[in-house]
Amino acid sequence: MSEAILELENVGFDYPALTVIDGLDLSVAKHELVVCVGPSGCGKSTLLSLLAGHLAPTRGTVQRKGQSRTIYQDGGLFPWLTVRENISAGLPRTTPPDARDEKIAEWLEITRLGEFANTYPHQLSGGMRQRVELARALAAETDILLLDEPFSALDYQSRTRMRRELVSTLAERPRTVVFVTHDIEEAVQIADRVLVLASRPARVRKVLALPAGRSRSPASPGVALAEQAIMDELGLS
Amino acid sequence: MRRFVFPLVTGLVILAIWWLAWSAGAFPVGTVPSPPEVAHAFGEEIASGRLPADIIASLYRVAWGFTAGVLAAVPLGLVIGRSLATREALMPWINFFRSLSPIAWIPFAIVWFGVGDPPAIFILFIAVFFQITLATSAAVATVPKIYYRVAEDMGLSAADVLFRVTLPAIMPQLVTALRVAIGVAWMVVVAAEMIAVRSGLGFLIVDARNGLRMDLVVCGMITIGTIGIVLDVVFARLAKIPSVRWGFER
Repeated sequence: MSEAILELENVGFDYPALTVIDGLDLSVAKHELVVCVGPSGCGKSTLLSLLAGHLAPTRGTVQRKGQSRTIYQDGGLFPWLTVRENISAGLPRTTPPDARDEKIAEWLEITRLGEFANTYPHQLSGGMRQRVELARALAAETDILLLDEPFSALDYQSRTRMRRELVSTLAERPRTVVFVTHDIEEAVQIADRVLVLASRPARVRKVLALPAGRSRSPASPGVALAEQAIMDELGLS
Repeated sequence: MRRFVFPLVTGLVILAIWWLAWSAGAFPVGTVPSPPEVAHAFGEEIASGRLPADIIASLYRVAWGFTAGVLAAVPLGLVIGRSLATREALMPWINFFRSLSPIAWIPFAIVWFGVGDPPAIFILFIAVFFQITLATSAAVATVPKIYYRVAEDMGLSAADVLFRVTLPAIMPQLVTALRVAIGVAWMVVVAAEMIAVRSGLGFLIVDARNGLRMDLVVCGMITIGTIGIVLDVVFARLAKIPSVRWGFER
């Protein structure tokens, strides 16, 4: 197994009078795509905040090798900036102007947002806004990408399309990814590994390794079985 | 087109009613001037240069009082909005002073600043300062946390967060507050000028009353109202700036 980029050891997190996460161990290898599924309110977003360094654990240790960017369900874009300016804001301050323009142009093309470069986020559809989020996060070239239910506000078709786009972009530009979702189908289609989290306090109930190659069709070998195993674990079958 | 024609028609109707009532002798002598008398007063005031000078004097005071109030209030509002302890310590007092009519400060204004522009500017400062402090802090407190998390990921410094996140995020609410505040300032300047100065549109009205020149009073009122509308239109324009407009279109 290659080097661990994210490592959580016996991590716990408490809000006053509420233990959200307890005894959680997690190790994510370089360029691995780990999906965490669990019932809503089980502490998935708190887990991402710990991984991002936005919160400090109450117990245990969080180790992170490199910078991270988080993509949220909705509303993470700066509404006062255009698409181009949002992507630009994500780039390191030290990026020279020429390189900056080049990067922006490149990501506008990858995410097919070229003609919307000077549009403001509120003028875009939900799917397009998530593409801008993706462009802004990936253009920064940080090692780690954290996704907090990034596609759950989208309709089924946009969600499916965005999932494919994420996977194909990651194939060209690999990152270490932790993706939280409550969508089991989404998890088994894109993950290298799926972590099933127990409800509060969150801890890992089950780890499922999926066959190599993303994204998988629902009919591909192992996918249906994995989906069934997760449903069993969550008591949904 | 209707935006201009409709108000013009209502204006002409009001003028006609006023004129007819005056001609019919509905008002006791000396209480309400006739439209031609007011028109004549306008001509006189413009020709003598007094009206333009009064307009400039009033606008000058509003410009200083408003600018000083905003420049002092926005930084304080930013601090109050971001820091819970400061908010708890200062908010009741901001609300206390905001509830006091700026006019109540006139005695202090005169004792502290004497006569002339400074007391009027001080009163305008008071009128704007507490309102804008409150509006700014309220706006800052409602900036979604998500923006700060994104800024943290981007590694922005505290100054960058202030100028590149907090300020642009509150701009729509701030612009609305500025529009309200300029309206209040314009109302207050007239009151302030009735006391400590010998120029400005407020003084024009008091001076006219002293001479029982009701035609001049109406001339002053029409000028004040018209400039009030112009100021409002100018500040409403701020909401059309692209980096502000998002707050009004969502």
